[in-house]
Amino acid sequence: MRYHIEHETILEFQYPVREHHTELRLTPRDDLNQKLHSSRIETDPAGTLGQYTDYYGNRVDYFCVIQPHSRLVTRLIADVEPLRSNPFDFVPTPAALQGEWLKKALKEEPSLNDYTLHRSSVTPPIAKLTTEIDKALPRHLPGAPLMESLSELMAWIPSILTYRPGATEVHTELVSAIKAGAGVCQDFANLFISVVRSWGVPARYVMGYQAPELTAKAGEGEVATHAWAEVLVPGGGWIGFDATHNLLANDRYIPVAVGRDSYDAAPQRGSFKGDDPGKKPVVNITIQCL
Amino acid sequence: MDNFSGSSGNKPRISYHEFYADDFTPREHYKLLWDHIKATGQNSLEVKAHESQLALQTEGVTFTVYGESDEGIERIWPFDLIPRIITALEWEKIETGLKQRVRALNLFLTDLYTDQKIIKDGVIPPELIYQGKDFRREIIGITPPMGIYTHISGIDLIRAENGEYLILEDNLRTPSGVSYMIENRVIERRILPEFFNKYRVRRVDHYPALLLEALRSLSPRGKETAEVVVLTPGVYNSAYFEHTFLAKEMGVELAEGRDLVTINDIVYLKTTTGLQRVDVIYRRIDDDFLDPLIFRSDSTLGIAGVINAWRAGNVALVNAPGSGIADDKAVYPYVPDIIRYYLGQEPILKNVPTYQMTNQQDREYVFDNMERMVIKAVSESGGYGMLMGPSSTPQLRREFVDKVLENPRNYIAQPVVYLSRHICYMDGELEARHLDLRPFVIYGEDIQVVPGGLTRVALRKGSLVVNSSQGGGSKDTWVLAE
Repeated sequence: MRYHIEHETILEFQYPVREHHTELRLTPRDDLNQKLHSSRIETDPAGTLGQYTDYYGNRVDYFCVIQPHSRLVTRLIADVEPLRSNPFDFVPTPAALQGEWLKKALKEEPSLNDYTLHRSSVTPPIAKLTTEIDKALPRHLPGAPLMESLSELMAWIPSILTYRPGATEVHTELVSAIKAGAGVCQDFANLFISVVRSWGVPARYVMGYQAPELTAKAGEGEVATHAWAEVLVPGGGWIGFDATHNLLANDRYIPVAVGRDSYDAAPQRGSFKGDDPGKKPVVNITIQCL
Repeated sequence: MDNFSGSSGNKPRISYHEFYADDFTPREHYKLLWDHIKATGQNSLEVKAHESQLALQTEGVTFTVYGESDEGIERIWPFDLIPRIITALEWEKIETGLKQRVRALNLFLTDLYTDQKIIKDGVIPPELIYQGKDFRREIIGITPPMGIYTHISGIDLIRAENGEYLILEDNLRTPSGVSYMIENRVIERRILPEFFNKYRVRRVDHYPALLLEALRSLSPRGKETAEVVVLTPGVYNSAYFEHTFLAKEMGVELAEGRDLVTINDIVYLKTTTGLQRVDVIYRRIDDDFLDPLIFRSDSTLGIAGVINAWRAGNVALVNAPGSGIADDKAVYPYVPDIIRYYLGQEPILKNVPTYQMTNQQDREYVFDNMERMVIKAVSESGGYGMLMGPSSTPQLRREFVDKVLENPRNYIAQPVVYLSRHICYMDGELEARHLDLRPFVIYGEDIQVVPGGLTRVALRKGSLVVNSSQGGGSKDTWVLAE
């Protein structure tokens, strides 16, 4: 399935701001699992766009608006085609050899250590979780098939968190969400990631979109960005786990940016000079099946 | 690690005396100086000490101390007029050792931010890098001009009890103190010109010229037209004196972040006649505050967009962002291996023996011997976040045990090294005080070590803490030409 995506963000300021620099991680990934047919970024006021690929492999588009302005609009327009129709379509490494496979991967690609070692307020150390959660955390015993452990973990998460739109904000610490017993997709992904990392298995955060037919089914109303996790599975590479819906990510998932946590994969970040911190950004996303 | 545990036994430890060979005889290279002091008498020293104080005051040579209150107190730079003398032979070893070390550390940084061969080959454990606060993922894929990260390094040396120079600490971010090295020489020359007639002392006052040359050589638009600025966090920074000093000596602009703007990957200085393109930024602010778009978003000291301008190759940043991982104190114990790995050479200057708190055996040994240890937080400098075992209280030691256990990666420990001593003129008496040495290394088209450095003195009797923020003083440092 091929999708047409438009993602617009409107920032408004009561008093004009200036020297406004923006980085966007909005361009969907273009790799073996997803074909990017076309994409462009528009901005108002217009700016000269620069690009680079960041450490996590994300395409970054950036620009600046120097003169005073009270409104900044950024827009991504892209045609993209996810290709992974069956996420189970791989031959898993035999359970007994998984540990060796991962060890070798970490040795050959040291940057994978980020996806096992990284801890932050949104992906806290496991000790922080065990003090908040009064039941046993799912475990992954050496020699157990990793995919099974991951499925058990995904099925366990709804016993800790209930999906409630607006329950948490971008910067809400994961333990606060757990205390409240409710969160949004970001919290589900972060909890999943935190537990997988405690097993010594690389897990990363994914920001992207879900195809409209899925969101409609889940009754979430307006389209927003979605968040899920990817785990490096021996034999299969990065496999997506959507803990919010207890689903493996297939070609109805459109990954945009990845990172250690939601900070790395934030769709937009900016810095400006001015007296007004700005109103809450307005985000309009439309996704059409082509 | 057994080779140095429990080395002190019951024998009292005696630090190396720089000045005296024994109780009565000065070392060979101090004899001329000593004869002169004897001939002119103590009264003349008293006058000279007074004159040096006045000179420092009129020159406005100051530093800022931060105490209990947030507001810094500006103090006159403490200076002792008896020079420290280093022989040509001693210096030769220091110089080659420092060049070797800085060359290896730059190869290490290049490797860390590209292929990470040293990790893949198992020489450095990945946790050390990936859990290091100063490993900057944001700059991976950027090659700094000429592949050099640390254009300016300040390496702290101490002398062990046997007189051997050891590396105590690498400072590869924004090392300070060089302005005091130069001012000390200016004062010493003015106050004691007769001293200089007796020795052939190598010059240090060309440092700003060497620095400017190295900075200009990095300019993306060529050396001839290079616009260089010194970027300071502002008047409240403890090293602000040095920032103004270096800008003035080099004849370049001193700028704060708000004076600069990045437009489409080019950095400009806002001047009264409009925007002026900047080629090289000698930044004296930490990575964290350098670019609010990339690093700490709440920073008001930096320049938004400067990292992307650097990535685009339109501006040079000195030292390169990300250099701090190589002077992380948890990386320090690996530097000898880093030298062997990249250069295939044995380190010329040795490290102080170091215990890693991530290693359980080391940790338990340190906890059992805390009175004889210095425990340091790996990402702090200036003598902060440190436990000095011999002068610590049981309460403080308990606190440090808790801190270490909570985050072992964050601490290292070293047996207390009794820094070498030197005579100092203290309130009318010549008394011994402990000292160290921070030479400065400039890495431009080649590596140069300015002959000398900043000798820091622990002014309090018996103290081993030389940091100026903690009551340290300084001496002029003479490297002899022959």
